[in-house]
Amino acid sequence: MSWPPMLMHVKVRGEDTNFGLWLPLFLLWPIVLAVLIILSPLVLAAVLVLWPGGWGRWSLRVLRDSLRVLCAMRGLRVDVRERRQCVYISVV
Amino acid sequence: MSENRKKILDMLANKKISVDEANRLLNALEAERSDSEDTPKAEAGRKTSAKYLRVTVLPDPASENSQNVDRVNIRVPMSLIRAGMKLTSLIPPAARDKVNGALQEKGIDFDVNSVKPDDIEGLIGALSDLEVDVVSSKGEKVKVFVE
Repeated sequence: MSWPPMLMHVKVRGEDTNFGLWLPLFLLWPIVLAVLIILSPLVLAAVLVLWPGGWGRWSLRVLRDSLRVLCAMRGLRVDVRERRQCVYISVV
Repeated sequence: MSENRKKILDMLANKKISVDEANRLLNALEAERSDSEDTPKAEAGRKTSAKYLRVTVLPDPASENSQNVDRVNIRVPMSLIRAGMKLTSLIPPAARDKVNGALQEKGIDFDVNSVKPDDIEGLIGALSDLEVDVVSSKGEKVKVFVE
């Protein structure tokens, strides 16, 4: 089982801007989970309404695959540098 | 008859692909089979060990312009590519037709509807063999590879 990303490191360096951020994504997931639980009756109702048209199954698969994409982001690293600017994004 | 062969013939029977495309797919299947018969363990090991797709743009040390070249270093997990491609298989039929139309306009004869989850796995497996190495006249060394 793959877990969602826990940290995101963003670093931007330019002529006027220079900052680095460690975003603690692991603090966000409990909040997202709580929101999902609260919204789950609405989601279920929407799926049931869409089911006869064949879109209910599709929307469930979209939800599942979106979560997979999110979990698969661990290890993503983008590092772009030019002479005066630099952008670095890393998902841990 | 193998499963993949049967699928290709089914697609041909359903007129999802042309005779030429079916021929090309069958040839590719045959080539893949002969390759896997050569070194099945080595092939399997290589495919499972591929974890990241790397794209790097670095200055060519031999070039005079190497100081002015931008540096790019991108590492994309293979699992993200796999998940993303599976997500594209959920494109609604109406949108797929639009995508096909746009591809046709660009001169690309490709039917998005014919892409199945099994094909995606095959495509990602084949990425393990990908290696692009380009040195431009501007002094850039572009590399795309899997590690």
